[in-house]
Amino acid sequence: MLREMSYAIATMGLLAASVAAQANQNQLELQQNPELWATQLGNYQGNRYSQLDQINRDNISDLRAQWQFSTGVLRGHEGGPLYVGDGRLYIHTPFPNKVFALDLEDEGRIVWSYEPDQDSRVIPVMCCDTVNRGLAYADGKLFLNQADNTVIALDAESGELLWEANNGDHTKGETMTMSPLVVHDKVLVGVSGGEFGVRGHLTAYNIETGEMEWRGYSNGPDDDVLLDPETTMMMGEPIGEADLGVSTWPEGEWERGGGAPWGWITYDPELDLVYYGTGNPGTWNPDQRTIDGEPADNKWSITVFARDPNTGQTKWVYQKVPFDEWDYDGVNENQLIDVEIDGEQRKGLAIIDRTGFGFLLDRETGELLVAEKFAPETNWASHYDMETGRPVVNEEFSTFRQGVNVNTTDICPTAMGAKNMQPSAYSPETGLLYAGINRICMNYEPFETEYVAGQPYVGATLTMMPAPTQDGDMEGRMGSFIAWDPVAGEVVWKKDERFAVWSGALATAGGLAFYGTLEGYVKAVDIETGEELWRFKTPSGIIGNVNTFQHQGKQYIAVLSGVGGWAGIGLAAGLEDPEAGLGAVGVFSALDDYTELGGILTVFSLPDA
Amino acid sequence: MTEIQIPRWLVAAGATGMLLLATGMMTQVQASAEPEKQEQVEEGEQASQQQEDVKEAAATESTPGDYTIIDGKVDQGTYDGYIAFTRNCMACHGPDGVGSTFAPSLVKAAERRSFAEFARTIAGGRDIQPGRVMPSFADDQYVLSNIENIYSYMKARAAGDLGRGRPKVIEEEEEEEASEGSDED
Repeated sequence: MLREMSYAIATMGLLAASVAAQANQNQLELQQNPELWATQLGNYQGNRYSQLDQINRDNISDLRAQWQFSTGVLRGHEGGPLYVGDGRLYIHTPFPNKVFALDLEDEGRIVWSYEPDQDSRVIPVMCCDTVNRGLAYADGKLFLNQADNTVIALDAESGELLWEANNGDHTKGETMTMSPLVVHDKVLVGVSGGEFGVRGHLTAYNIETGEMEWRGYSNGPDDDVLLDPETTMMMGEPIGEADLGVSTWPEGEWERGGGAPWGWITYDPELDLVYYGTGNPGTWNPDQRTIDGEPADNKWSITVFARDPNTGQTKWVYQKVPFDEWDYDGVNENQLIDVEIDGEQRKGLAIIDRTGFGFLLDRETGELLVAEKFAPETNWASHYDMETGRPVVNEEFSTFRQGVNVNTTDICPTAMGAKNMQPSAYSPETGLLYAGINRICMNYEPFETEYVAGQPYVGATLTMMPAPTQDGDMEGRMGSFIAWDPVAGEVVWKKDERFAVWSGALATAGGLAFYGTLEGYVKAVDIETGEELWRFKTPSGIIGNVNTFQHQGKQYIAVLSGVGGWAGIGLAAGLEDPEAGLGAVGVFSALDDYTELGGILTVFSLPDA
Repeated sequence: MTEIQIPRWLVAAGATGMLLLATGMMTQVQASAEPEKQEQVEEGEQASQQQEDVKEAAATESTPGDYTIIDGKVDQGTYDGYIAFTRNCMACHGPDGVGSTFAPSLVKAAERRSFAEFARTIAGGRDIQPGRVMPSFADDQYVLSNIENIYSYMKARAAGDLGRGRPKVIEEEEEEEASEGSDED
């Protein structure tokens, strides 16, 4: 059935050959079917929105867990299940990166499973737990990035390994955690390892053969970055100057310059451009990234890239944080949304960023349209200069200005970011973004560190504390779920949570937004007001994404539980009260008091009428 | 940092979990023909025997787990232990040794485990569950040479003498003035 369908779609693709961009026709067709959830972010645009409304505000209180499935793997479960219409759910796990095809018609019976054989020495070079953000699907194949840098393609029907490609070397600290994205006949993958001084890159492999097609680095000479200073745009102008990926670093430092693109990739099939962000620059000690003792831009770390997926060539760049001093990785998802701004229709790109700022850019040109704080405690920068696109840094919270071996205190947000990798949702009906965010601040002390291949290259110590509360906030809260107006640059409503909200959001035409909490609750709220309408306690904390799909007339909600990730490292024992004395650990809630490890898939639906 | 060459045979011994360390230098290795059997010996007895071996092999007078704290500042070794921890252990064992959702608190580990056990786990690693592994650091010279320091840092944390965060180092003159091996605050 599925094979027939893909033939039909292939034919349609030929007929539609006049359309300049073909995306991956199979993937595009699947994601345009509202019954399916064929890519991790729901669609190429990264909207995590479903038109399904069988489950809605009126009946949400009847939603029931139908069955659960233990993955047999402990540690942090990020990403979520895929449903491509063949009656199965495809799920993955953290290291050892198992893959399961589960029969949706038989309460999760295992149709097939696959477990790669990987060197366990990859585990200690994963900075923030052995997470994986999930599978990609196209043309009957599943694609997975293994922790040990092996990219694999599996036959979705049988689970048989079709090809594998080596994307890096874990003995140098390179690993993989991100979810691949299939565009045209290529699968795009990014590397992790920003805490190990890796040199970040995004790479395209042929989906049929596994052969490398192009690789664009995040730093180094223009030929490596795949940009042309005469044509690649920055803030609406050609970059102009050559090799900024070399000249904005002290001698040779770009070679260990990080910029790992470990987050999500989105794609505009009409413009035929892919969008992603790069991570932190090399060491966390800014002093080691200066030129003549002065801040240097460290390009192209913490930068949004728009690339042509056919060649990898860069159309435009926007560096969100030149010369990072706080580990504000710029990897958060770029939501592709069409907006009206100042009476004009624009092809927008919205980011709820690590930095605490919500950005809106023009995704054709890379021009900056809006930059406003969504986390009110944000203090590292007062605002963005809209002419230059640069943050106006507050000297008091500049870890560079305060100096090496000086503990710069009360910086907001923390290095975890006001929002980390947990992907947001966007409802075209409300025009709002919905996201789980972190309300945590930090003290940050840079120190001199030395690069050793395969060793952490951090050079800063930090302590964290909950962000100061304001009127109406929940006491001691460390997270919120928010509705964000990307055009006005305003929070429309917020709902506080005890812990950072580290799960991916979902918005539906049923008037609902869904998210998970670190204690393990799945929650549904009214998309208009944020009022909680339903909750269910899963067995472990949720850092996965809530997905939805429909099979044989029934709408399902599904989510992976399994606490871990950076949240599982930083919040397990609770945060320190900076005002309290020695031994006051745990005065704020400790995650360990609420949840334990466990990888579980829970599938929900309404009871049969 | 002093460069320490680790011979291949010693690395192999480390992987069997029988590596002994003293004062940051590997001065003695006790290999066993029946490592598994030896593992089963009562913890206390085994540990105390190894502790004595360590003491005998020690090149200086300090014993593993010693630390000096004056006005909240620590001796260089304990500080080095903090740095080595943040570089190599924190990614799993949480900030300042407090543990994470998937790896235990090393502050508690230092309370419960003898130095010999602590060192053996770092050198030999441990299979806890499939996919849940304490890796072996037997081929990591930097970690091996800092096991004592890490242990001292954790002991100081366990005793409540040292809080979270990066400690300051005692200036040399201050240290000389201080009484030996004290835990003053």
